[in-house]
Amino acid sequence: MDRMSWLSKLNPRATAGHRPSRGPGLQSPVAADPETCLMVFKNHWAQVLRILEPRGAGPGSADDQSAVRNHTHQLLQLLAEERARAGGAPGPILDFVLAEDLLERLLRWHVAGDFGEERRAEQLKLYEVLLGQARQPLLRHAPVLRPLLRLLGLCAAAPAAPALQASLVLLLSQLCVCVAREPGLLERFFYRPPGPGPGSGADSSSGPADLLLFSLLVPFVHHEGVTGQQARDALLLIMAMSAGNCTVASYITDHSYFCPVLATGLSALYSSLPRKIEVRGDDWHFLRREDWAGVASLALFMNSLEFCSAVIQVAHPLVQQQLVDYVHNGFLVPVMGPALHKTSVEEMIASTAYLELFVRSVAEPALLRAFLRFILLHRHDGATILDTLVARLGTNSRLCMVSLSLFRTLLSLNCEDVMLQLVLRYLIPCSHVMLSQRRAVKDLDLYGRSAAKFLSLIPRCCHPESLPPPDRDEEHATWAKGHGSPSVDTSSVVTVPKPATPSRLSFFMRQQSASGAEGLGAVPRSPGLASPASSPGHRPPRWEEVAELDGNYLEYLRDARLSVDRCAWACRVWSAPYDGERPGPDSLAPTPAPALPISPDHFGHGPPTPRTKKRGLPEEAGGSSAGPGDSRPLPAPDAQDPGALVNGAPESGRPGGGAEGAVTVKKVRRCPQAEREALPTENGAPQPPAPGWEGPSVDSLLDELLARAPAEPNGAGLSIESFSEELQELEAAMRNGGGGPPRAQLPPPHAEEDEAEDEDEAFAAPPRPADPLAQVLASPPRALGPPPSQPFTGPFVAVLFSKLENMLHNSLYVNVLLTGLVAQLACYPQPLLRSFLLNANMVFQPSVKSLLQVLGSVKNKIESFAASQDDFPALLLKAKKYLIARGKLDWGDTPNAAPALRRSDTLVKSRKPSLGELLLRHTQSPTRARAAAQLALQQVREGPVLQALAGAGLFRGAAEKQGEALRVKNAVYCAVVFTEFLKELAAIAQAHAVTSPFLLEPPEE
Amino acid sequence: MSTSSARKRPEAEEKTLTGELRTSPPRTSTKKQLPSIPKNTVPVTKPASPAPSSQSTNGTHASYGPFYLEYSLLAEFTLVVKQKLPGVYVQPSYRSALMWFGVIFIRHGLYQDGVFKFTVYIPDNYPDGDCPRLVFDLPVFHPLVDPLSGELDVKRAFAKWRRNHNHIWQVLMYARRVFYKIDTTSPLNPEAAVLYEKDIQLFKSKVVDSVKLCSSHLFDQPKIEDPYAITFSPWNPAIHDEAREKMLTQKKKSEDQHCKSMHVSGLSWVKPGSVQPFSKEEKTMPT
Repeated sequence: MDRMSWLSKLNPRATAGHRPSRGPGLQSPVAADPETCLMVFKNHWAQVLRILEPRGAGPGSADDQSAVRNHTHQLLQLLAEERARAGGAPGPILDFVLAEDLLERLLRWHVAGDFGEERRAEQLKLYEVLLGQARQPLLRHAPVLRPLLRLLGLCAAAPAAPALQASLVLLLSQLCVCVAREPGLLERFFYRPPGPGPGSGADSSSGPADLLLFSLLVPFVHHEGVTGQQARDALLLIMAMSAGNCTVASYITDHSYFCPVLATGLSALYSSLPRKIEVRGDDWHFLRREDWAGVASLALFMNSLEFCSAVIQVAHPLVQQQLVDYVHNGFLVPVMGPALHKTSVEEMIASTAYLELFVRSVAEPALLRAFLRFILLHRHDGATILDTLVARLGTNSRLCMVSLSLFRTLLSLNCEDVMLQLVLRYLIPCSHVMLSQRRAVKDLDLYGRSAAKFLSLIPRCCHPESLPPPDRDEEHATWAKGHGSPSVDTSSVVTVPKPATPSRLSFFMRQQSASGAEGLGAVPRSPGLASPASSPGHRPPRWEEVAELDGNYLEYLRDARLSVDRCAWACRVWSAPYDGERPGPDSLAPTPAPALPISPDHFGHGPPTPRTKKRGLPEEAGGSSAGPGDSRPLPAPDAQDPGALVNGAPESGRPGGGAEGAVTVKKVRRCPQAEREALPTENGAPQPPAPGWEGPSVDSLLDELLARAPAEPNGAGLSIESFSEELQELEAAMRNGGGGPPRAQLPPPHAEEDEAEDEDEAFAAPPRPADPLAQVLASPPRALGPPPSQPFTGPFVAVLFSKLENMLHNSLYVNVLLTGLVAQLACYPQPLLRSFLLNANMVFQPSVKSLLQVLGSVKNKIESFAASQDDFPALLLKAKKYLIARGKLDWGDTPNAAPALRRSDTLVKSRKPSLGELLLRHTQSPTRARAAAQLALQQVREGPVLQALAGAGLFRGAAEKQGEALRVKNAVYCAVVFTEFLKELAAIAQAHAVTSPFLLEPPEE
Repeated sequence: MSTSSARKRPEAEEKTLTGELRTSPPRTSTKKQLPSIPKNTVPVTKPASPAPSSQSTNGTHASYGPFYLEYSLLAEFTLVVKQKLPGVYVQPSYRSALMWFGVIFIRHGLYQDGVFKFTVYIPDNYPDGDCPRLVFDLPVFHPLVDPLSGELDVKRAFAKWRRNHNHIWQVLMYARRVFYKIDTTSPLNPEAAVLYEKDIQLFKSKVVDSVKLCSSHLFDQPKIEDPYAITFSPWNPAIHDEAREKMLTQKKKSEDQHCKSMHVSGLSWVKPGSVQPFSKEEKTMPT
């Protein structure tokens, strides 16, 4: 009791209001003159001495302790109140303290006794108050510093009890503040524990001295709450001091565990992150701040990451370097690498989203470098992380969306190294253009030819002229009534989850934007030139609601101007202009087409098992990861059937449909690709039921699943959620007619698709040789993609293009993200890239597909779709209305709700339902999983699956309708997004011609 | 505007470009394509030049034609800025992107100290039409300048205007060169041509008179009223000293401003001359 109140009085915050007036006969020290104070002080000390002196008396009785405590309190107050003498010399009381070695003797007495928690806390408090309140510098005096160090040394010897931790950290952080004010003191904090000359400073002759101030703080670096924050702040102060102090810096790197603790702390924190991110809303694709702030484990991780970043920012280069290395080798390689390669799609989605968040949040270039180095060069299971991520763009699920987000973030960095690996290295040899055209790489398209070309690709059915007749009732447009996702119904606009809206959609919102005066009507037009939007008179009334889309080209121009200028400005720091001459075409050998890093161990039968080597030394790809000198064996051509499964191309009507069905089931079980394809809402276009499918293997399959549940490899833990999800997908597949999951209509065969498939196969369990189907899965089906001699513009471009070709079938969100990414790419000013994507005058090698060609094929698809769909104009109108409304909703609700972490802030738009609310869970207990599985199994057995099996025909009709609705929905949205995308590309093409030359000048050093 | 501050402009001491020319920092002036409308100025909307782009094959994107024209001109202007022609300054008019105001400072030779204002007229079917016309505000005494209209004979240098090959900066360069290298064949001003051939002294004195005449009209109101017309005013220390100071320190400042307005910096760890990522020494990254 007594002690408690005493302590609370010692606390500076508690004493702030009133002076303690305890203690017999003590006048208020404030009022007293220095002489009197000294006398009083000596008096108290004499009384303390009376207790301290009798040696052998041991720790003294409780009474003794209490008396010493009270006197100490008075001494402390007097000392704290004293001011230095005129010349800065110590005041009389301090002089006395120093001469008497008062603090040391006091500590010695305490230590001699039972130096328990209570007494430690008292001593810590004593120094804390002294440092916090003293009006003259104390630490520079050895008689103050020495006992303090000794006390800290004692704390270091025995780990602080939880109760003491807060006081210890508080004292330490106070010390750090003092030292920061007087950096010269820092080296005096080196302490050699029982050495002959206690506190003799950093004298390197007899082993390393300990910088206690620092090493005591390190264990708290990952703590939650106030203590952790104080510790981190204090450490940052030390880091900042280390910047100018080699001794301290080398102490930190050579004699402390600071860097490894930080880096492995990240690993530990990462392992506690949710393994799957559970979101409703089919538009979710990246983690916003409001998403993760509510998830404690993620917030904790981000805190630590931010701290790492801050340390790297302020610390000495030695520390910086070491920490960066540890983050790379102790977190990214051993933890992030395997996490990105987990076998379940859910986990891949989560880890990709995390990686995106990290890359987006790290502002410190040196740390960002470690992340990028990891992504670009580190090889996991034979493939660089980059290749793996690129391949995942080819998938058809949310995995594709989070991957798109990741690349959006990567592109927004304007990082030469990233662009070099992603695209430029494939363009540098200039083998994609005709020889005669190489010079034209640098040409600017001054007269808008390319823009005209892009605009000419706007499908006829999307021209404003092809409006529906005014009297046409849009209720005829019934694409999703009852079946499709609710988000297509315009009446539900208010309740739909909001999309993160990349640029194309943001154009739908411009009228609501803050610069309200700049609505279309008020756009300052260039005089003398008519704006195409200036005469609204001819529009049928109904279309006025969506007419803003028809007149928004000027907005695209402005936006493009800004983006291109910004990108050009950012790229000034690059090492070369990439204009076809610098670097020269010969600086890189042309990249042969099948440049995909696929090694046999992808398929599980290669010698090195990925899991065993993951903790080994980080592998890194050499710079020329795809170079011809690469010794990776080219996969053998497939003898079986190269095309069939690889691209998921429809194979209805193929003979052997029974086997087909079995394959599908297998895939559902083990192969993430199948899971993706099994999402019926994602991609529409259900597969016509394969004839002759008999479904009875379900039970055995479920049993297999069940048996596997507790012992998921990698300790991944089969979560209840993902398990039941798998089951649901299975169910859905059944309902859809039993012909296997509704296949997405995948793009035509392409090298990159190939790769994607390979990646997917890599996730699958090793095939059992006895299983012919597994062999089908496992044998790498090559034979696709251009022969090696042909020019290749790289897997990234290839996968983007094939995704684009498939636009008609992509979901709205995929298309928005995808076109955004391509537009981002198109903003880069490097002539090689610019000419490849945007210059309509360029002539490419016949085997090289151009963006215009790809878009041309999309145009044709949209037009033929529109021709086949009677109510297309009405549907188009409806889609536009919906998108506009949705866009406005976004802006209206959350004006600047995105607390941007940094540069990609413009991309980070806010979204209402936070992920935190939306439940982030993970289940690790195998028993729980098993129980859940059994329950689910029971339901499945008794429930819809059996029904589906029994009455497949009955359900087939509904499924087909649903699939059809989805197909139509995707296609109509695609028509809208495509049209906007063309305008955007045209505007970007025009903006390149007028980029200010000043922006392109390299910065002056 | 190509008033790059790096360049010395001795003229600035006695004459100052005022108006837009003075207030626009070099960087922003290239963004003039969509100028904000100054207060109290009603834009005279020219009867919309339809400028049907040759690529316009269907109705819809014909409506984008004006953007092509505008951007073509803007691109031309950007090229002018890139060329950094010494002593030549141009600025597109506010009213029409097809009309550019300019001024040439002649720094040596027969026309030394000449300050000639001019206007460039670009045909509205640019770049598929004729070459642009260049008309001096005052008819300079010169064999190739029409003594009545002040028009420079541009056509002789650009008999056929070829898109992608001919650019407006070439016209400006040509306009500058005629004052340094006198050509007398088939002159627009035969008197000047003859004098140059036969009586160089008289020619010189006529030129001096012409230069003086131009200088004496320097402070006149611009011939064409336009917010972006180039006007000169006498040196007024209250205004111009500060402006001059700004111009001389412009380089550094505008750099900073730009950094602020853009505040995006790219990243690169590629060693110059290398094509390998992360080939740069690690320590070179700024912390």
